[in-house]
Amino acid sequence: MDKKIPESKLWVFIEQRRGIIADVGLEIMGKALALVPGTGWKVGAVLVGHSMAKQADMLLSYGVDEVLLADDPLLEEYCNGTYVKVLERAITSFQPEAFIIGATAMGTDLGPRLAARLRTGLSAHSIDLELNDRGELIAVIPWSGGNYLGRIYCPRTRPQMVSVNPGVFDMPESGQAKGFIIPIDAIVSEGDRSYHIVKTYQEEAKEGDLESAEVVVVGGYGIGGKEHWHYVEELAALFTGAVGASRPPADEGWADHDQMIGQSGRTVYPKLYIGIGISGHMHHIVGIKNTELKVAINQDPSAAIFDHCDLGLVGDCKDIIPALIESLKEHK
Amino acid sequence: MRIIVCIKPVPDPKYANRITLDERTKTMVRHDVPTVINPLDKHALEASIALRDRFGGDVTVFSMAPENCIPVLREALAMGADHLIVLSDRRFAGSDTLATASIIAAAVRTTGPFDLLLCGDETTDSGTAQVSPQIAEFLGVPNLMHVSAIDASEDGFFRVRSRFETGHVIAELKAPVVLSVIKELNEPRYITLMNILDAEDKDVRILSADDMILKEPWIGLEGSPTQIIDLTSPERKARAEMLGGSAREQAQALADRLCRMGFYHG
Amino acid sequence: MDFALTERDQMLQRSIREFAEKEIPPRMEKMEETGEFPLDLMKGLADMGILGVITPRDYGGAGLGHLARILVLEQLGRVCPAMPMSLQVHHMCTYALDVFGNEEQKKNYLPSLTNGETLGVVAVTEPSGGSDVANMKTTARREGDKYILNGRKCFITNAHVSDTWVVPAMTGEGRKGMSAFIVEKNFPGAKTGHVEDKVGLRGANTGELVFQDCEVPAENLIGGEGNGMAVALGTIGNCGRPGMACVGLGILNAVIEEAVKFATERELYGKPISNLQAIQWSISEIYSDLHIARLLAYRAGWMLDNNIPADTACTMAKQWICEAAARSARKAVEIHGSYGILREYPIQRLMRDALVSVPAGGTAEIAKLVLSRVAIKEYQ
Repeated sequence: MDKKIPESKLWVFIEQRRGIIADVGLEIMGKALALVPGTGWKVGAVLVGHSMAKQADMLLSYGVDEVLLADDPLLEEYCNGTYVKVLERAITSFQPEAFIIGATAMGTDLGPRLAARLRTGLSAHSIDLELNDRGELIAVIPWSGGNYLGRIYCPRTRPQMVSVNPGVFDMPESGQAKGFIIPIDAIVSEGDRSYHIVKTYQEEAKEGDLESAEVVVVGGYGIGGKEHWHYVEELAALFTGAVGASRPPADEGWADHDQMIGQSGRTVYPKLYIGIGISGHMHHIVGIKNTELKVAINQDPSAAIFDHCDLGLVGDCKDIIPALIESLKEHK
Repeated sequence: MRIIVCIKPVPDPKYANRITLDERTKTMVRHDVPTVINPLDKHALEASIALRDRFGGDVTVFSMAPENCIPVLREALAMGADHLIVLSDRRFAGSDTLATASIIAAAVRTTGPFDLLLCGDETTDSGTAQVSPQIAEFLGVPNLMHVSAIDASEDGFFRVRSRFETGHVIAELKAPVVLSVIKELNEPRYITLMNILDAEDKDVRILSADDMILKEPWIGLEGSPTQIIDLTSPERKARAEMLGGSAREQAQALADRLCRMGFYHG
Repeated sequence: MDFALTERDQMLQRSIREFAEKEIPPRMEKMEETGEFPLDLMKGLADMGILGVITPRDYGGAGLGHLARILVLEQLGRVCPAMPMSLQVHHMCTYALDVFGNEEQKKNYLPSLTNGETLGVVAVTEPSGGSDVANMKTTARREGDKYILNGRKCFITNAHVSDTWVVPAMTGEGRKGMSAFIVEKNFPGAKTGHVEDKVGLRGANTGELVFQDCEVPAENLIGGEGNGMAVALGTIGNCGRPGMACVGLGILNAVIEEAVKFATERELYGKPISNLQAIQWSISEIYSDLHIARLLAYRAGWMLDNNIPADTACTMAKQWICEAAARSARKAVEIHGSYGILREYPIQRLMRDALVSVPAGGTAEIAKLVLSRVAIKEYQ
């Protein structure tokens, strides 16, 4: 580790909990590396915690110019009091032009308080970033429930702060490690902890009912029979989501009638909808209007459901669902 | 216990789809969509009333809003809050979150010390989820977000549960604090017919920019560091993005996408 | 003439609407199936102030007026028309006691009628005819410090779910021979009889009350012997008819919502059917019916609150609004095409509810008799 002065102008906050780096920081870092060519700016990945040497090396392997590392035992557990102090100090000392953070539970707690301390602007929950040749970072933000898009920037104050939604950018590819780890001042005291953490719990999520479920997995006639209905239930269980049905499976008795979603059935408001073997008739579609992400799996590539969804998979559910469940399980 | 609750009037989220964009003026048009108190704020109000009923004290509600929203904001009094203070001034128009937080903090300072300031995590219209930590910063007090349980003791300590993606922390803080809350916190009470009548006797005060000392000159459009360049309608996708490949490959691609977007935590 | 609702009225609408939308739908399937009033909602209704909406606060009520009552019942009826059916009959009981009862009677009975302990009833109709009130057959005979009642009342809403009954009975002959009594379910000789199986408004329990040498304490006589007609007509006129109007008003609210929802979602020839003129005409007619209904109902409430004689206005409101609800519901069923006659869609229930509301609480025929007399007198 060299004792250099940081030169990077575009800083990306790398969120970690218990030493595990959150994907969102890497996604933003990848986007930042793609934005800077032509601007003369370097990208700095900002990592705050304790005993982060391995993680810092891992970040360098993506080709980032600098990893700014604040390492102290008092920073091991996230606390907005200590983290805001460390980051504010670093930003004031080294004057980056822009600071980007993931819009996660941590990021939405940390970012705004830091922005207020710095008296600068923070554009929140963006789904895309632009960097123009005047060094202005523009955030694209969903407006009015996503029906519209706003482009927001921060012309007068520095650093320009933006928070980015997880999963918006792709994970970066490993590149050539060409950068340096630069330690930054990590000194904080007990008094900087604005609250005391009694205990941290990793949770078992609870299964909800249809109307309040965040994830709804719905089976249609394409499931093929009651003996295959378990695919729907297993996938729903993996998300601790709710199980729904379109009309034919409800009529056939593969599912209960009160699980039917549609014009004369229930309306759902989940974040994620996965429709398996659903044809896409209006009757059912109107029950799922209010969803953030709609995914459809169907054997027929010309099924109407694909006109009403965001992501489509073509294939037999008996092949796709087990593979999907396996891939998801492998992820954590 | 002196409790402050910050609430915001928003277009009724049930009718969000009726709000359209005026391409010419680049502003959102509300088309008679009724105004309601931001849903998460009702959870904050419910918590404040329950704490006041348990420990004694009073609940003061602040809202930066135009005066014509006062009939809707009175619902906070009908729910059981004791006082309503509305921050209304043409000079506040166009404020971003930093400016808004600065104004609310200045107003709160005019009414003296408090033990607890509650907000909802975010509003349904702008959804920035920034105002509560920024109010805390301007007031110089600790804050915690995503709060799903609050317990308090007689000697001014709060024990709260704050959720994150895959779990929660139990934290202890000493008054005064700012907490912002999520839906899981409680079930807001109904407003009864008797509540509505009794609330008519409660006081509503209106404060303008002249009634508070604005430490930072951050108000209105000019005082807002973030600015809108433009608002547009996104291109409507005609069809889904089809993940190509074999069944296994499609499944893998979908799993990756769902994990990164935070739908699946493992 | 200021047609605007006050801030208080608007807040009242919003709070009852929220309560109705959350609390009633989970209970509706059972109400429809069993024909039973959801007694587990009694505490909620009491806490909200709905049971005692027009009862003074001294007796546990909300102390609001008739317009407020109409706004409350409209919001409940929009979600489930059987609710205002039951509740408006309950209000008739509280109204009769409040207006015609003495202090002792009010103190004894109003608190339990507002705090959720029991529903109330005003039991006028008999097998001899509800439209033929003066021909009542139930008798009340004075014996010492009691009255002995004999007879039977039918088509009584809340019969099996109420403890407090206001019962008109004949103590003498003719119009001046009617008296009104407060009868408790547990009085010796009082009992409930047959339960009716209605095709609509099924969550409102309807049945018979039977009196076989029923013993009623003399202090439960309301107002004095011979006062019964005044109690019956006053209660029906100022409370029952506007209340029934709210059943129709609730139905109209639900009908326009269902009709527009279906018409804008259902596609034929590549477009929603709301683009077809025939559908548009029906929708416009339902829309106008709803707004006219509101004007009639709100006017009646306003007149009652301002002590303006409102008999004609209330009669007109009840008769016109329930008929409007029936014809609008039918149009909405037809907008639904074949889906309209399937039980899984709510529109057929609304049509059945509307059909039941037309004769209930006063037939259209009697209403038209009353109105024609007024019209002829006015324009002669």
